[in-house]
Amino acid sequence: MKLICTQENFKRAIFNTERITGKQITLPILGNILLETEKGRLKLSATNLEVGVVSTIGSKIEEEGKITIPSKLLSNFVTNLPTEDKIILEAKDQILKISSGSYSAQIKGLDAHDFPIIPKLENGFLFSLPAQELKEVMSKILVCISLNETRPELTGVNVLFSDKEISLAATDSFRLAEEVITIDNKEKGDNYAAFIAKTTSIIIPASTFSEILRITSPEANAINIAIEENQIFFEIEGVLIVSRLVNGKYPEYKQIIPQKFNTRAVLKKEDMSRAVKIASAFTSSKSGEITFSINSKNKEVVIKSQSQETGENLTKLPADITGPDQEIVFNPRYVLDGINPIPTAQVAFLVNNNSSPVVIKMVDEKSGNVIEKYTYVAMPIKS
Amino acid sequence: MTNNELWQTALGEIELSISKANFVTWFKNTTILSKEDGRVVIGVPNGFAKEWLENKYNTYIIKALQSSQDDIREISCTIYNILEKTDAVSQDIDAAKAPSQIKTAYPMVGNAILKENPANEANLNPRYTFDNFVVGENNELARAACYAVSQNLGNAYNPLFIYGGVGLGKTHLLQSLGNEVIKKNPEKEIKYITSERFTSELIDAIRSQRIDKFKNDYQKIDLLIIDDIQFLSGKEKTQHEFFHIFNALYQINKQIVLSSDRPPKAIPTIEERLRSRFEGGMIADIGQPDLETRMAILRTKMAEKGFYLEDDVIKFVAENIKSNVRELEGALNRIIASCELNKRPPSIKNVGQTLSELISSGKRKGIHHKHIIKAVANFYEISDRDIINKGRRKEIVRPRQVAMYLMRIELNASYPGIGGWLGGRDHTTALHAYEKINRELEVDEKLKEDLVIIKDKLYSL
Repeated sequence: MKLICTQENFKRAIFNTERITGKQITLPILGNILLETEKGRLKLSATNLEVGVVSTIGSKIEEEGKITIPSKLLSNFVTNLPTEDKIILEAKDQILKISSGSYSAQIKGLDAHDFPIIPKLENGFLFSLPAQELKEVMSKILVCISLNETRPELTGVNVLFSDKEISLAATDSFRLAEEVITIDNKEKGDNYAAFIAKTTSIIIPASTFSEILRITSPEANAINIAIEENQIFFEIEGVLIVSRLVNGKYPEYKQIIPQKFNTRAVLKKEDMSRAVKIASAFTSSKSGEITFSINSKNKEVVIKSQSQETGENLTKLPADITGPDQEIVFNPRYVLDGINPIPTAQVAFLVNNNSSPVVIKMVDEKSGNVIEKYTYVAMPIKS
Repeated sequence: MTNNELWQTALGEIELSISKANFVTWFKNTTILSKEDGRVVIGVPNGFAKEWLENKYNTYIIKALQSSQDDIREISCTIYNILEKTDAVSQDIDAAKAPSQIKTAYPMVGNAILKENPANEANLNPRYTFDNFVVGENNELARAACYAVSQNLGNAYNPLFIYGGVGLGKTHLLQSLGNEVIKKNPEKEIKYITSERFTSELIDAIRSQRIDKFKNDYQKIDLLIIDDIQFLSGKEKTQHEFFHIFNALYQINKQIVLSSDRPPKAIPTIEERLRSRFEGGMIADIGQPDLETRMAILRTKMAEKGFYLEDDVIKFVAENIKSNVRELEGALNRIIASCELNKRPPSIKNVGQTLSELISSGKRKGIHHKHIIKAVANFYEISDRDIINKGRRKEIVRPRQVAMYLMRIELNASYPGIGGWLGGRDHTTALHAYEKINRELEVDEKLKEDLVIIKDKLYSL
């Protein structure tokens, strides 16, 4: 194998593939990246047998071939190179020679024939989503992922398909985040209708989404998605990601989201976030409790906390309130996780009583209406 | 041959031709889904396995399948969901629960899982209770102490140290204590652990650099029970950590219960500060059960197993098997098995035959005088030759007398024989030694314990 490519592209491809390689004691080759020439381009592949990433870049190929190289060493070498135009790769007898400007290296590799074959997409893409929107949605959803392996279905993101919209949700059974993305006809592939006829719900591993978040650059436009027998394919600007799906049935969460509320308080997101952070500092242990008092007469929300060791604190926030007064106790972390990723300046805090789920939603800045697409549900601590 | 058998046979063959790592990675959770006209469909858990089996291992697989069924021509793989079948059950429950149940179960999930079964979490076997513990003169004190502790954690006797030989019921008492506390106060944090496990947990914690968590976890416990503490001897770092945990718990009045096969004084190479702490609370010993207790134990065990023996047979067994309860139970199991197999009634004669190997005049086989000399020499840290040779130094005379005593007791040897084995001594020397040790045993507790340890060593040689 012998080829020349631009250093920028090569660095980008290494960055995309390198992170999912890891130390696998049983199969050491999974710590390697496969470099391979294909149809006049250079293809880099990496996998941990749950997720596979393939990144293809343009290059000038002088001799075909393939080799696998330890990813950590390759990335350490390449990322520290000073910016140059070109990088020259030459593989011979399981050794890869890399040179760029006045730097060069010879890295020992393993036989490419032992590298796992990354599944290929058989049919076309099912639908596509705007990359930046998905990225923003995921940053809101992923905070609710369960880290507890005893319920594997909660370690993934649930995706529900329907004709007009796609809902993504995650829960760890203490709180839940859901966001609905509308999908219009030009984003759907030919077989989308046939697909939702038989499948309406899948679970995607959270780690796959973190990988996608990382690979999606700020310039990316669309993410193409395909789903085939227990696996899902994503395509972002020439990078293909394959992942298994999580087996199991996701809880029917839609039913636990309250549809009606007694009290609504709209307040500034920054104020609320600051007050909760301060209050959490005054709580005793990590399972600390903070109290929200909604006072409709004074038009304010009072957030307070106290503990025997530290003392106490109280913040009054002006708010636009409709409905009766409420007093609810919360774990501050669960509130923060819900409001922190919200991009709007105001949030709506929707309450029924002190023992049923509380919902946090975004508020449109111009019209002042509650935006329905994002829903964060948290259980209060029963007093 | 079913598909499953066929696949297992094939896997056996494939395992031989590829490396272990490859085999585990690619063939885990695979199965044959269907077989028709020489075409086999293999179910695999993911796309990677599908590609790999179809492209790299297809020849291996076909060959392996053909060696059991030669009409197989072709294989293909499909991804299938291994959990599908088991999942069906939980799906039903999920659907049935929604929506009202999920709502209420919501915030409590974490707690519910944690507190599900306190006995399991505490590592206790619910079979052991105070009710099925047979009390006799030998274990009265130990049982009373354990019971008092279970009624009044941290305030009755702290620490409580129980010691006694193997198979006398230390573990039973300790576990009963734990179970009793759970019964009374299920919310108490209880941990039963052997010192072996304690050491390995500690090593794990050190290796994964989570020693702080390890310490914290232990310091939250209300009742810590450590079995066979004597195995801490010689493990300095473990002793050190245990010392701190011990102090932390002791200072806030949390109960600690320990057991060992010998009193704290007699545990070799244990730090002085630990020893003195063990002795600071209550020490109770469990001795060998007397005849009546042994008979009572046999009766209890028989009732548990639903088996019946005549009184004279019970007496015969109890008279002949003296040293420990576990052997007593073993003997009883043996009698039951032999009666059921040979279809004979458990008369004294039959039982005598069944147990002949165990009791052959009360002694076990395969021990002879050389073993005794070796065990004694080992214990007193002198050489075998010293015991046999002429020397009359005090530190040699005592072991020699102990050896003579043991030969008389354990082997039923004649006095002239004993004298002969120990360097041609006179039979009166042996007689004197036997009587002297016998006399001293009545007053000297230390000597008694030494003898127990030597006997243990003797039979474990």
